[in-house]
Amino acid sequence: MQGIVGVFRELDATVDAVHALKKLRAGNIDIYTPAPRHELEGILTHRPSIVRLYTLIGGLAGATFGYWIPIWISDYWPLVVGGKPVPSWVPYTIISFELMVLIGSLATVAGLFITARVPRITMTVGYDERFSNANFGVWVECPPEKQAGVTETMKRHGATEVRGER
Amino acid sequence: MATVTRPDEEVLRLGPNIPEANIQLPGVEKYEQVTREIQRTLYPTKLWFAGLSVAIICMLIGLGAWMWQVYMGLGVAGYSPPVMWGVYIVTFVFWVGIGHAGTLISAILYLFRAGFRTTIYRAAEAMTVFAIMTAGLFPILHLGRPWKFFWLIPYPNWRLIWPQFKSPLVWDVFAILTYLTVSSTFLYIGLLPDFAALRDAEPRPLRKHIYGVLSLGWRNSELEWRHFARAYLFLAAFSTPLVLSVHSTVSFDFAMADTPGWHATLFAPYFVAGAIFSGIGMVFTIIIPIRRWFHLKHYVTLNHLDAAAKLCLFTSLVVGTAYLTEFFIGWIGGNSMEQSYWWNRVFGQWWWAAWVMLTCNCVLPLTLFVQRLRRNTTWLFTLSIFINLGMWFERFVIFDPSLSHEFEPWQWTRYAPTYVDWAILLGSFGWFTMWFMLFIKNFPVVAISEVKEIVPPPLRTPHPVEGIEVTGMRLAFEPETPGERD
Repeated sequence: MQGIVGVFRELDATVDAVHALKKLRAGNIDIYTPAPRHELEGILTHRPSIVRLYTLIGGLAGATFGYWIPIWISDYWPLVVGGKPVPSWVPYTIISFELMVLIGSLATVAGLFITARVPRITMTVGYDERFSNANFGVWVECPPEKQAGVTETMKRHGATEVRGER
Repeated sequence: MATVTRPDEEVLRLGPNIPEANIQLPGVEKYEQVTREIQRTLYPTKLWFAGLSVAIICMLIGLGAWMWQVYMGLGVAGYSPPVMWGVYIVTFVFWVGIGHAGTLISAILYLFRAGFRTTIYRAAEAMTVFAIMTAGLFPILHLGRPWKFFWLIPYPNWRLIWPQFKSPLVWDVFAILTYLTVSSTFLYIGLLPDFAALRDAEPRPLRKHIYGVLSLGWRNSELEWRHFARAYLFLAAFSTPLVLSVHSTVSFDFAMADTPGWHATLFAPYFVAGAIFSGIGMVFTIIIPIRRWFHLKHYVTLNHLDAAAKLCLFTSLVVGTAYLTEFFIGWIGGNSMEQSYWWNRVFGQWWWAAWVMLTCNCVLPLTLFVQRLRRNTTWLFTLSIFINLGMWFERFVIFDPSLSHEFEPWQWTRYAPTYVDWAILLGSFGWFTMWFMLFIKNFPVVAISEVKEIVPPPLRTPHPVEGIEVTGMRLAFEPETPGERD
């Protein structure tokens, strides 16, 4: 994995540089920003996050399990009161709701970790500590023959520092 | 994380980029300033060590009292039939309630895009987690054999017996454990980008390493932010009904019983409103000293406190309406036991506790109709202490007057907490404060990445105060309003 990382001071310079680099078609681009910005959303991809699928599946699984376990236990150890049905769905809805929230939330976090590829054991190339503080960053994964063009494009659009990494 | 969700094309075209444009931080001008000033709060001071020591001493007093109770039996806690729920259950409900404002501020106000939450939600969220940790101790303290508490959890066992899922006490176990887990998760996920910022900015090697581990290799990439925004939104969406359900479930502990003053359908909304009200009181108790001692007045501005005070006033009015509804239903229902109970509660045996409750929760918060008092931090802090006191007494007034004044007059009795009760109550405040003190010097008490969202980004093109053009979009910033720099 090799490429060029550019450090940008300004938001608009970063946006302009990314647009120019996309036209250059030098390689995969990644953007770093200290805080999420709408201006940077959707520049690289318009695909919606699939975290929602994890949430849906986790929530449904939790709600199902939350009904299943008290119903199964009621059947396993029946407490018959006044001839009423042994499984009582009204109080069991509370258990189901709580487990829906619990397992749905944990599934959401699992979805975040899987899709965003964290935890990350080592910091990969193309990252700079300034990106979490006040600077924006652009990483372009590209072969050596395209690195000169990428470097020139980044500098032209206001990068304060451009360096090659591998 | 109010600005990270994907806006539709119409919003992008029209702007503003920042939904919280009415809550700006003119005293905070640059991204670097945010990281630097929040990181600066993480250096321990003598005052902090003193506060932590006091908290630990209080906790040890409570621990000693509990050990004495385990040795002697529950009798030392002042219980005698029929009053078998005393200070422990009162304090359990009190701490569960305290936690609710944290989730309201961090999750519900996030969904409503209320900008004033940005700088106070982290402290409120931490408060929630520690309050639930404190609350969760009390049902265990209340047990005669506390080492058997796990019997409430449905796990496969050789006895082949299971909990009774129709019991509100089992619902409590599920509600509280879910609330603790989801609140802790929500707090940690929100902290991830801040851990990364501290990992990269921290000069002390040990702390840098710890933040590095805690940040899980977060890099602030566009991919990470995109999924983070969606996950955070769903966690907030889960937390919102959860916060309503938890205190409703706690209220069922009482409302399911056929006891005068308890057996009411009003209890669930009444408990939830009271919980949010008490939690906001505790938020003021916490955030006002923090903004002063940590020099964060330009982050937690008077405008933020003013907005939170309006929320406090609103919930006070809801709680007051619930009190009046209880009285009214007791009177109009025509049940002589209910009427006798209510009279005894307000004008009889328990008048002093009821009037402490009414004064602190309904009368004093009316001062928040005056804007000058909403923006007076000394008054807000003082009022918050009264609210904490009043809400503890609210639970006391709900529980013990009912148990001591049930249907049979020969059962009517009194209840007086003992030194063990008071020591354990003190210990609970010590336990809560200890965790909170440890939190504020090791983790950012103001969310670094979220504050950066409402700070104007650095731009090549200089912009006037009221609008800028970036890549074809207009970003609106409102002019400075009074109080933002205080």
